[in-house]
Amino acid sequence: MKRKVNPFSRLFVKLLGNEKYQSFTIPVFAIILSLIVGAVLIAVLGKDPISAYINLLQGSGIWPKPKYAGGKSMLTDLLSFMNYWTPMIFASLAVAVALKAGLFNIGVSGQMLASGFIASVLIGYSGLSAVVAKPAVILIAIVVGGLVGAFIGWLKYKFNINEVVSSIMINYIIQYVVAFLINTKYVDPVSRQSQNVSDASRLTLMNTQIGGYKYDIPLGIILAIITAFIIRFILNKTTFGYELKAVGSNRKASAYAGINVGKNMVLAMLISGSLAGLAGVTYYMGYFSSIQPKVLSATGFDAIAVSLLGNSNPIGILLSSFLISIIGKGRTYMSSSAGLDAEIASVITGLILLFSACSAFIQYKVKSTKEQIKEIEKQNNAEVKK
Amino acid sequence: MLDKIIIDGLSFALPLFIMAIGGIYSERSGITNLALEGLQGAGAFVGALAAVFLMQSFGMNSPVPYYAAIFFAMLGGMLYSMLHALLCVKFKANQVISGVVINILAMALTVFLTKVVNRLAFGAPSDKFELGVSQRWTFPVLSQIPIVGAVFKDIYPFEIIIIFVAIIAWYVLYKTKYGMHLRACGDNPHAVDAAGIDVAKVRFTAVMVSGALAGLAGMCFAYSISAKYSSAIYVGYGYLSIAALIFGNWKIIPTFAACLLFGFANSAGYQVVKAAGLPSSYSDLIMILPYVLTLLLLVFFSKHNNAPKALGEIYDKGKR
Repeated sequence: MKRKVNPFSRLFVKLLGNEKYQSFTIPVFAIILSLIVGAVLIAVLGKDPISAYINLLQGSGIWPKPKYAGGKSMLTDLLSFMNYWTPMIFASLAVAVALKAGLFNIGVSGQMLASGFIASVLIGYSGLSAVVAKPAVILIAIVVGGLVGAFIGWLKYKFNINEVVSSIMINYIIQYVVAFLINTKYVDPVSRQSQNVSDASRLTLMNTQIGGYKYDIPLGIILAIITAFIIRFILNKTTFGYELKAVGSNRKASAYAGINVGKNMVLAMLISGSLAGLAGVTYYMGYFSSIQPKVLSATGFDAIAVSLLGNSNPIGILLSSFLISIIGKGRTYMSSSAGLDAEIASVITGLILLFSACSAFIQYKVKSTKEQIKEIEKQNNAEVKK
Repeated sequence: MLDKIIIDGLSFALPLFIMAIGGIYSERSGITNLALEGLQGAGAFVGALAAVFLMQSFGMNSPVPYYAAIFFAMLGGMLYSMLHALLCVKFKANQVISGVVINILAMALTVFLTKVVNRLAFGAPSDKFELGVSQRWTFPVLSQIPIVGAVFKDIYPFEIIIIFVAIIAWYVLYKTKYGMHLRACGDNPHAVDAAGIDVAKVRFTAVMVSGALAGLAGMCFAYSISAKYSSAIYVGYGYLSIAALIFGNWKIIPTFAACLLFGFANSAGYQVVKAAGLPSSYSDLIMILPYVLTLLLLVFFSKHNNAPKALGEIYDKGKR
């Protein structure tokens, strides 16, 4: 008897079966799945999912809005989106570098806050001129973030403390200490946030007039894209990058091969922390100019989604951070024009995370379906011959 | 003041403890459970939802919504934990990543749903559920004993439930066949499999137990800390309980000691700030006490701990 292959599984294998492209096709599959689930959710709430998704694009300056306020254009929105995108790239690279070394840096948000706060205090309130202030901010970010990250790596290496637990503890400690310092010393009595940093120290040129339109020009975006390529170079072309990945895939084997596992773990966390530091200053001294006490930015947590989605590959991260930033940035416009709660955006991000966490399973499923189809076809061919 | 430290310390330590027991169940069976934070929040959400609806028909002062909330929180936590179990046991996802994903999703979903429910069911734009103040019991004679008597004063009813559940959990883990299988799954799943027991099933149920206990803890926190449910439930107590169980070496009794330590450190800190008449912004500094303590304790105890041997490993029959 001839057995038939289920057309759905055939399509499934055809779309995702090519192992060469799986690092791209499976994340796309995860995104599409989560967008579908998100669309169902929006539809259940009685809203039109397509227009809600278009609203996300409009809010990010990628799709034209029906009308713009005076002095604003699509480019204004796009630059503002890039301003938001910049810290996301840095934060996701931070998560990715740690992941490559087999470490899970969930403390990115805390490292961001520490570097953003210290750079604000040391440079943001100092009155230094822009030429000195901007590079100094970047330098401080790298040092502070790197130190916090290295400390977590050192705790892991020296005392065998799970980095997830220690970085979360450190997140809370930083959060409360910074809140205490802001509330006692640097608070702006009106906004209940920290005082605004000087424009000279800020990494975004705010309200720049060009041709009758106002733009916020994010300087950090160039640095972010260059950094992505540098990280890619380090991971793929240097001995250090090779050792780091070796430690990440098998600690015991690397130790046996003569790699200094402890040193590599601390170094990986150092780099990861520095990147988080850069995310911090482009966030608190670029996109924003002040710090809200007792709140950790969502960026550090969304970065986990971005990094997973981009397979911890720096170039993949540029793409996936672009997508997640659209959801994060466009949510305000979506909620105001579609009347949806902005929180649905976080739900969609959460769903993307959930489905990308299943990527290993999807990969396994594709493989087994592929073999099943082969088996059936083999049987069928044999029967034809008989 | 000493009374207050003991009363507040206990009402903080006990929910932490029951959540840590949940963590012990999951981790002793071999599943890393960083999802406790999300599980307690999701469980408390379901419980709070049940409570606000029941309060409509039973009134604010009836004890029915209170106990129903606890029951539904356990149920909700258990149902939500099945997602973690599914990812870790069936879908072979990285357990650490799965845990974090579960937490992020729980936070996003509950914040979103709280708003939606408030708007649709009550027509009010609110991001929290008002739960009403919990009853508190004082035992007549016992509470008169000096110092120790505070243990019997102003008790939340949930504290009794927790102690009761904790004793059952201890008995099941150490004295029953199921508990033995569970502990064996975390150390040597291949041997368990060879003995003809389904490793996946044991692990799945262990994670469900952890979800139910975390849900219970979450509901207790919602009642004891703020008398309402909001996103403020995600302040990291789930992670704190993980630290407690690591410090307690994945054993129930030492973990209880760790939780008591956290509880009393926390409440003593608050009382000191109050007694010294410091401004309220200083309470932020006190808030870091349990976290600093956790780190310090981990520094001393992590090196010599013996985690379950197969913790975090995906069970692969082929490796036997």
